[in-house]
This record gives sequence, C-alpha cells and structure tokens, in this order.
Amino acid sequence: MSFDLPRPRWVLLVLAAITGAAQAQDAPAGRLLASNCFQCHGTNGKGPGFEKLAGKSANDIYHELVEMRAGKEGDGLMARHAMGYSDVQLRAIALYLGSRR
Amino acid sequence: MERRQFLRSGAALVAGSALSSCGGGSGDGEAGTSGPASAGPGGLTSTPPARPKARVIVVGGGMAGVTSAKYLRLWGDAVDVTLVAPAPKYTSCILSSLVLTGQRTLSSLEFGYTALRDRYGVRTVFDTATRIDPVTARVTLASGAVLAADRIVLAPGIDFDPVAGLSDPLAMPHAWKAGPQTTALARQLAEMPSAGVAVLTIPKAPYRCPPGPYERACLLADWMRVHRPRGKLIVLDGNPDFVAEKDNFGRAFFELYATIIEYRTDVIIDHVDMASRTLFTDSGAVRGDVINLIPTQRASALVCRSGLANATEGRFAAVDVLSYASTAAPRVHVIGDASATTQPKAGHIANQEAKVCADALSRIFAGAAPDPAPVTNSACFSTITMSQASWLQAVFQYSTQLRAMQAVPAASGASNGWNGDHFEDMTRWFGALMADSFA
Repeated sequence: MSFDLPRPRWVLLVLAAITGAAQAQDAPAGRLLASNCFQCHGTNGKGPGFEKLAGKSANDIYHELVEMRAGKEGDGLMARHAMGYSDVQLRAIALYLGSRR
Repeated sequence: MERRQFLRSGAALVAGSALSSCGGGSGDGEAGTSGPASAGPGGLTSTPPARPKARVIVVGGGMAGVTSAKYLRLWGDAVDVTLVAPAPKYTSCILSSLVLTGQRTLSSLEFGYTALRDRYGVRTVFDTATRIDPVTARVTLASGAVLAADRIVLAPGIDFDPVAGLSDPLAMPHAWKAGPQTTALARQLAEMPSAGVAVLTIPKAPYRCPPGPYERACLLADWMRVHRPRGKLIVLDGNPDFVAEKDNFGRAFFELYATIIEYRTDVIIDHVDMASRTLFTDSGAVRGDVINLIPTQRASALVCRSGLANATEGRFAAVDVLSYASTAAPRVHVIGDASATTQPKAGHIANQEAKVCADALSRIFAGAAPDPAPVTNSACFSTITMSQASWLQAVFQYSTQLRAMQAVPAASGASNGWNGDHFEDMTRWFGALMADSFA
C-alpha cells in the first residue's frame, strides 16, 4: 500500500491528531516530533551528520521510516529508533521534514 | 497572560557589557555548515527582537541550556533570550574519556557561544547565577546584576556530594565534568606504575550518563592491556548491577577484560585517605595507585538553594514534562541533568528536553497550551575498546496516565556487540549533536 504525500484528507487527519486540544497558533504540526531527528541529521534535517533529510520528499521519508520500523533495513540504531513512533507520528515527521528545503 | 516584569536597564546593561567581552574562540567551526538562520516568525532570527513579546533567561551553558536558547529563538515569536553561561567556552563531557587514553585533546571538545549570538540573536552573559527568585523570575549574578524575565529556564547541570577526607578534589579526580579534572586523571594514569592498580567508582543512580562509567572502565582496561599489561582495574559499583547496557558491558567486563577488570557491586564509599590513596567502603578498604572517584550527584546548588529540588530525596527538581515547568515554581523550567524525570541524565536527551521546553514556551507565549504528546529520544555510543563502540537507544512517549515520559520497549535497546563502524558513527554523531546544540 502506498501513500502519495501530501494527500489533503490524511494531512488534515494528521494535523488534527497532533495538535489535539492544544490548538497552538504558531507551532507547525510535526515540528517538535521531527526535531527528534535533528541531533543526528542536523537542525531541520540540513546536516551536518548522518543522511541529509531536507530536500527529500515526505513520501520517501515516510516509506523509509516504515521500512526501518519493520526491520527491513537491518537491526541498526535507526531501526530501533523508528519503532518508537506510531504511524500517525511517522507521517507527521515525514510531512514536516518534507517541507524543509 | 504573562505578567511582565522587566528590569530593562539592568538587563540591557549586563547584556551590553557582555557583548563586548564574549568574543572568545570557539571549537564549533566543524559544525557550521547550516548557514545563516532564516527569518523566523517574528522577523530575522539573527538579532534580538526589537519589540520582544516575551523574555526568557536561560541559566547554563551546557547541552540543555544552549539548545533551549537556540530553539527559543528559532521557534518563538519575537522571544528575547539571554543565556547566562559560566565561561565563554564549554568543554564537552561527551567523548572526554578519550582524553584519558590520549585519543582526544580537551581543546577538541571545546565549544563556544558565538553562533548562538551571531546566528540566532541570543544575548550571552558570562557570569555565574548565584540566586533566582522563582516567583518574580529574577536572576542575580555574581557580579551583582539582576536580570528579570517572564520565564527562567534552568539548565545548570549537576553538583557532586562531598566525600569525607577528600579535601583536594584533584587527588582522586572524578573527571565527570570535563576540564582540569580530566587533565588531572589523565596525568595520574600516565604516571601509574607498570603493575599499578587503578580504581573507578560508580555512584548510586541517578547520576549523569548511565553507561558512562562502564564505558570508561572498558576504555581504560583496553588502554591498560596495551600500556600497563600487568596492571589491574578495580570497579566499585554503588549499584547492585550494571545500570545500563548490561549485555555489552557484561561481556566486556567478564570476557574481554576478565584478567584486567575486577568488578564489585553494591559498594558504598564511606570516606577516603588521600595520603595512602585508600577508599574505605562498607565492604572493606581498597587501595589504588590511581583513583577515579565519581561521587554521588544532585542538581546544581542553585536549584537546591532556590527550593526547586523537591524530588529524588531532595536531590533533583520535579517538573511537568509537557513544559519542564518546576512543580514548585511554574515560571521556572528545569531541563537536563538537574531535573528529575524518567529519562536518563545525558547530553543527547537533554538536547531534546530543551526542544520540548522551547516549543512549550513558544506556545505558551502565543496563548496556547504545550503539546500534549511530546516525544524524546536518547541515543549514544559507548567505547568498548579504543577503536570499537556499541550503541544504546531509547524513545520516550508521554503517558497521560503516568503524567511522565515512558520508554517505548520496542525502541529501547543496544547494539548486539561492538565494532569499528559504530566507533566511526560515534564521531559523526558527536559532530551532529554538538552542531544541533551550539551551531
């Protein structure tokens, strides 16, 4: 099953799930979640460090994360890390990182 | 919303005087590839806001403090941020055990605050915070100046409990804050006789960097194997078992270094005798040629003095992990090793706690509530030999039932063994982490 991001309907669902009751006015959805990537991939995914994430599409990032979480890319640190997030959270992370240029 | 109490002249005076004196060198050149900051929601990020909507004083120049200052500027809408750090340079504790084996220099672990100031418009003040008023959110500095803000972020790290008989702190160095302590321990190791005995003590948890003492023991054992093959390393653990990464450290201690490391658990140090280099413990006296004594720890005295150390038997600060607000003082947020949470006390996760705090403050200043479901992660590498490392990883999700961060079991674990690739990854991780914090 594949997702073509961004697809408005689930984008809205993700937004609703993340912001919840907080209704933050100026905190983009997924920003805080995605910042868990920055320690190793650089602020906003722009490096220095491991694989640069900024510039990749949300779709690619999401699918990579899902494969890692499923253990399809070995049992490395990143596979473990990906297992820490729900599917909704992975989508939010991918959407935010996919919007970084 | 927020009651503003600015002491404008005082803050401006101190910040102004600091600007002229903080041009110290920095070791963060390797990290600076991300270019100038882009315009934030309140205008250019690289200069302090002309019309601040809120003011924050960050106390502490380590991993948690700098990350919170940077992200408050990146994410906050016109937030004026003043960072109070004890010195113009920070020396990283991470990787500092490699100084003991001669593999790194202390200067290679130094980081400055120029990027925070020039790229993110953080005001930097190099002074020591001696007192805070948690109610009015004022910070008194050693120079006598008083700063005021809407919120205070405290990230002052840890202090060590005094050890009876240890009047000279360099006689049995902890080397658990990088700097002169590290240099002293490195020198003592270099002077250790060929059949010498080194002793490393591990404090009762919670302490800074759970795998750190075991990683250091492994590194020193590997160094001794080469340079002091007749030597011995006695590890006295105040805990009943390995505090972290038991599989890897157990294999290293009992197999790889079986002839070098002698591991004793549940050992509590009562007092020491510096002249005879002896530790007196609840299970007898232990003598060593070199003694790396890592004492038990508590939040920095500033936290305790301010009445915020209300958890862990009065040692650390209880916080609401949605915003890191102190449970004793809602305008003061405590992040990093000084706070009492279910998360480890370590630099990588301190960086993420700082982001959660910065995000929460940016929402609070906008009249909203903190993110109700924050996530944090911890990742690190441990040197098992002088050229091979293991990794350790955890993700924490907020639990509404526990009102605490809870480790996700599937995402918490270590590498199966150690190798040279992980050692290389460690160096890359360090560069990335320091850049996300300081650059």
